[in-house]
Amino acid sequence: MAANKKAQQLARQLFKLSLVDGLVSADRVSGVLGYLEKLQPAHPLAVLRAYQRFVTIELAKSQAVVEHAGVVSDSILQTIAASMTKKYGRAITASTRANPKLLAGLRVRVGDDVYESSVSGQLGTLAASV
Amino acid sequence: MSTVIEQIEQQIAKLQNKAVKKNTGTIRTVADGVARLDGLSEAMYNEMIQFPGGAMGIALNLEEDEVGCILLGDVSKLKEGDEVHTTGRLLSVPVGKALLGRAVDALGNPIDGKGPIAATEFYPVERIAPGIIARKSVSQPLFTGIMAIDSMIPIGRGQRELIIGDRGTGKTTITIDTIINQAKINKVGLASGDPKFRPVYSIYVAVGQKQSNIVRTITSLEEAGALEFTVIVAAAAADNPANQYIAPFSGASIGEWFMENGMDALIVYDDLSKHAVAYRQISLILKRPSGREAYPGDVFYLHSRLLERSARLDGKGSLTALPIIETQAGDLSAYIPTNVISITDGQIFLETDLFNQGIRPAVSVGLSVSRVGSSAQIKATKQVGGKLKGELAQFRELAAFAQFGSDLDAKTKAQLDRGSRIVELFKQPAYNPVPIEQQVVTLWAMQKGYYDGLDLKKVTAAAVSLRGFFATRKDALLTKLRTKAALDAELEAELKTAVDEWKATFTA
Repeated sequence: MAANKKAQQLARQLFKLSLVDGLVSADRVSGVLGYLEKLQPAHPLAVLRAYQRFVTIELAKSQAVVEHAGVVSDSILQTIAASMTKKYGRAITASTRANPKLLAGLRVRVGDDVYESSVSGQLGTLAASV
Repeated sequence: MSTVIEQIEQQIAKLQNKAVKKNTGTIRTVADGVARLDGLSEAMYNEMIQFPGGAMGIALNLEEDEVGCILLGDVSKLKEGDEVHTTGRLLSVPVGKALLGRAVDALGNPIDGKGPIAATEFYPVERIAPGIIARKSVSQPLFTGIMAIDSMIPIGRGQRELIIGDRGTGKTTITIDTIINQAKINKVGLASGDPKFRPVYSIYVAVGQKQSNIVRTITSLEEAGALEFTVIVAAAAADNPANQYIAPFSGASIGEWFMENGMDALIVYDDLSKHAVAYRQISLILKRPSGREAYPGDVFYLHSRLLERSARLDGKGSLTALPIIETQAGDLSAYIPTNVISITDGQIFLETDLFNQGIRPAVSVGLSVSRVGSSAQIKATKQVGGKLKGELAQFRELAAFAQFGSDLDAKTKAQLDRGSRIVELFKQPAYNPVPIEQQVVTLWAMQKGYYDGLDLKKVTAAAVSLRGFFATRKDALLTKLRTKAALDAELEAELKTAVDEWKATFTA
């Protein structure tokens, strides 16, 4: 238990070192990985897994994943990216992922925020309110 | 028809609205009624978290990169990686008169098979206790129907009186008696049509109890005709610890509705020892630092914030609390008992020895106290029972000395005799509360020495016979006693005539 806590603490410190102006820097990440390879801390797997988790969460904050049931044009993607960039005050890029379960509409995920504008989401809300 | 179309169109318009934002997370671990979640960066303390399959959670630990929450409802289908989202709402329970006569779980869902509850209002489970400006001092009595309590340890409306004792000493029985007595008073008061009469509604919260015990309690209340004035909130031993932790707070919210709407309510927490154990379990699984007896550091705050919600409000109603604590081998100095003793306005201590000697209710007069005191007593009770506590304490002291020798002076013998008669008089069967006017009659007869010539074993029977005599033949006098609530010369003369009449007919 204590070892896991220490691994988490080290991973968090390394993650903080990987940021430049609040964004994950690829150079810093390779530097951290090189350092870990060289230093071989206790429980390296736990440290790397925790570090990976922190970096993934941070990267997700700069990416808008647009799930769609129909076709999404580039202009819509660009509009979404621009509005999210404005909303979150950081550069956000948009990527697409097809999801037929939505039936129609879009679902945009930025970090742990989800913007639901799909038929399946609306039906779910309706079902919960009845 | 057009309005129906409009309604549908409005619903469609709502659906066509812009995107709905949800703050989401994923389940990292689920164990023992507690989930640890990734994400949920916007979760608020005590906010409800929606889980898949209709289960709900309450965010209790907001950490740097994860949220710890307790789970309510069916959690058997949850698995790692499931998506959850915040709701922006606090956990709320239905409140109002629609709950009277019903048994609900910790979330206010009916569990008695009597169909849905037609409640229109909801109160959050966690609410801040009324402040000092809103409060008023406790001065109105709440009759338990137990002579030993009403005459020596009076309870007032808005008071918190702890009932403490080992297992099997009659703690629950005292509270059930009190609830039954409220129902009896309510029925008489409502039938009288007195506009000033304020009924007392009861809430019985069962925490960590066996289902069979809960059923027995409900049956007792139903048989006594008290269920129609009572709400049962049950989180049985088989419920998960989160439900057991929430149940007393849900009950308090239901009680607060009565208080805030100008009514009086009584809430029984049966019991807070098991509640503390459920909270300890949750806290340990949430990896909160543990302190004495492995309870978390905020276990005092857990009970203080709950019991502080009981109050008498100025210009509104009141909420009286009877929390129960179970001790181990009579140890009052354990952690949870001392905590709750210091929070409440007094305690009724029940002793195993007294119980085994057949003195029931087994109230230990020496260790029991009501900090509200005689301000919560009617004048008649003060007149007939004002010195009882002192006399009984003296009796216990003398009785302890008398064990060592038989050579006692006449005064001591008289005191011992009187003391043992008082002890006999206070014996009362379960689920049989005595109305306050009958208590006054019984104690008045004792004060005037009507039981003195009797064999000690016949005193209880004589008191029962006296009460029966008054109930059947002197109803007008009882009504007068109840309405006047004080003994004057005229009433005492009437009382004397009536008791003399009974004495002439009574054969020991």
